[in-house]
Amino acid sequence: MSTPAQVWSYRTLIVNLAQRELKSRYKRSLLGWMWSLINPAVTLGVYTVVFGVFFGAQAPVAGNGESTVFALWLFCGLVMWNLFSGVINTAISSFSGAGGLLTRTYFPPECPMIAGLITVIIQALLEGGILIFFMAVIGNLSFTMLIILPLFVLMSCFAFGIGLVLGLMNIRYRDVFYLTGIAMQVLFYATPIVYQMSILSPTAQAILRFNPLTSYVGAMRQVAYFLDFPTPGSWIVMISSAAVSLVGGWIIFSRWAPTVIEEL
Amino acid sequence: MSAIVVEGVSKKFRLHTDRAHSLKELITRRDRNAGIDQFYALDDVSIEIPEGSMYALVGHNGSGKSTLLRCIAGIYRPTTGSVKVQGRISTLLELGAGFHPDLTGRENVYMNATILGMSKKQIDGVFDDIVEFAGIGDFIDSPVKIYSSGMYVRLGFSVAIHVDPEILIIDEVIAVGDEEFQRKCFDHLADLRRRGVTIVVVTHGMATVETMCDGAAWLDHGVLQQEGPAADIASAYLRRVNEHERAERQAEAVAAAEAATEIGTVTEVDPAAVTEAWFGEDIEINDVWFSDSVGEVVATGTTGEPLTVNISYRAHRSVEDPVFGYMIHTENDTPVAGSNTRLSGIETGKIEGDGVVAIKMDQLQLLPGNYEFTIGINDKFVQHTYDRHYRSHPLAVRRGNLPIGVGFVELDATWETASETGHTQVGP
Repeated sequence: MSTPAQVWSYRTLIVNLAQRELKSRYKRSLLGWMWSLINPAVTLGVYTVVFGVFFGAQAPVAGNGESTVFALWLFCGLVMWNLFSGVINTAISSFSGAGGLLTRTYFPPECPMIAGLITVIIQALLEGGILIFFMAVIGNLSFTMLIILPLFVLMSCFAFGIGLVLGLMNIRYRDVFYLTGIAMQVLFYATPIVYQMSILSPTAQAILRFNPLTSYVGAMRQVAYFLDFPTPGSWIVMISSAAVSLVGGWIIFSRWAPTVIEEL
Repeated sequence: MSAIVVEGVSKKFRLHTDRAHSLKELITRRDRNAGIDQFYALDDVSIEIPEGSMYALVGHNGSGKSTLLRCIAGIYRPTTGSVKVQGRISTLLELGAGFHPDLTGRENVYMNATILGMSKKQIDGVFDDIVEFAGIGDFIDSPVKIYSSGMYVRLGFSVAIHVDPEILIIDEVIAVGDEEFQRKCFDHLADLRRRGVTIVVVTHGMATVETMCDGAAWLDHGVLQQEGPAADIASAYLRRVNEHERAERQAEAVAAAEAATEIGTVTEVDPAAVTEAWFGEDIEINDVWFSDSVGEVVATGTTGEPLTVNISYRAHRSVEDPVFGYMIHTENDTPVAGSNTRLSGIETGKIEGDGVVAIKMDQLQLLPGNYEFTIGINDKFVQHTYDRHYRSHPLAVRRGNLPIGVGFVELDATWETASETGHTQVGP
């Protein structure tokens, strides 16, 4: 079992793997780094047009008491969602992608997954920066936005724990990759990202509260849009879900990774 | 002190002959263990590798050498038993493992070296040596996908040997590159060993085992056959390989002969196969060994020094004028020289019982390198082979004190330079 200390001693490798991933990602593309902005921008544009214009969805009034910008309200949720799905998808792909290396030399198998995690977090920070920039443009700015960072950390831990287990299972059963894709679609709409909780029936709202992502997205909007603090309830959900997921995922991964590597 | 202690290690693999590849199969199939065979890649193997020694694992393909190597490296966990390792391990199981085709040689060197456990600072320190050793030159800043396969492999090897390990684990990768690069690699490995690095290597080159290794272990189907001094293991292993080869050839030839008799057309049988069926029947080569000027048995030769090749034979019946011959090959299959008693105009007379034939060289003309001897005994018209050991007697030649040239052999030639004042002879 790899202890965090062992993984720490391989930090140079992790940084190098992450660098390699970032460097090779946009090699031979004209727009290069721009792509990491274009993708979320297009997603945001499509959702804004479909839900904000076609369906006429309204955003609540922002923390400064006057602005109601649907696109920015939506973007708060999307940033959080992108981090969640990005971490999980990258965990799955980076483990199967590192297979060749893992069978040829020894290093803790967590390393490539952590490297993948780092690339996703960098992307999330980029998106968070853009979010804050536009919030500043409409004059909706507050120190509560600093809480975005701990929210990112909790979300990364939560998603990473799940990603570790899915990445492991995917080696033996490739179905996991496809199932994850479907589950992500369902989960996206089972989380109040493109709509407000208030448009749902009380029963539906109650069910949605069982989804930890509801708390993460809600907390993000609290700090970045309403310029307020997350509710104590959402803190409890986030901290406990992140802790359970990370510790559980790590234990399962450490236990089974050496066996699974032999099948790579 | 032992750097590596392997104690009763067994490694069981599951052979999925018909394994469930999807969740659906997993759920719908009743008997999940059907189609899963288990086999032991390693079966109760125990070896100790002393610190600072060079140790070889030998055996045919699939004998479990690589599995054992991976267990030592920590990539595989033994099913039972334990592996205790003292020191920092660097593995070289595949050259250029982790090279990304789109990244430059420089970027890949850093990547590869960190995988092997080096810090950025350490890599900075040896970076120039790595490039120099690999002979990559300006290509270091080009993507590795445009490299020739030779460059790719050289760069990978160069990185691996410049990692400063306490234990270096190498899997059959030395046999890369041209002759010159190989020699450079061996020199470097010898250097590492002198500095106290423990080296474990999987190899098929028995010459490597005999000349470079201290100890060796021979595995067969996951079972340790023999462990001990490298030269002993190498010759024991080669003997077994020869026996197998001979038995196979005989079986083939006998089968062919039987088939031919049934059809009743003996003329269609490959004559070589039939003669080889009787390998060792009339005269058999007992042993071949090399000795120096005073008759002492040696495993290596030295350019310019005397060397004798001794062939001990046993004639089961009286044979008239058999022809003894030899052929020298390089490891890369290039024939260097060969002759036989008939070509040399020597009549061996009537022989019977045991005897020894020696090929004496006052000055070994082979240049440093690894060579393989084929020894054969034929009938007096060289139409029929009594026995033959095909490339099974390796000889490593080392450099002596004499100035030497390049190539495979040192010719007995002298220089003569003409100047206006007359002739000046420079020699030899």
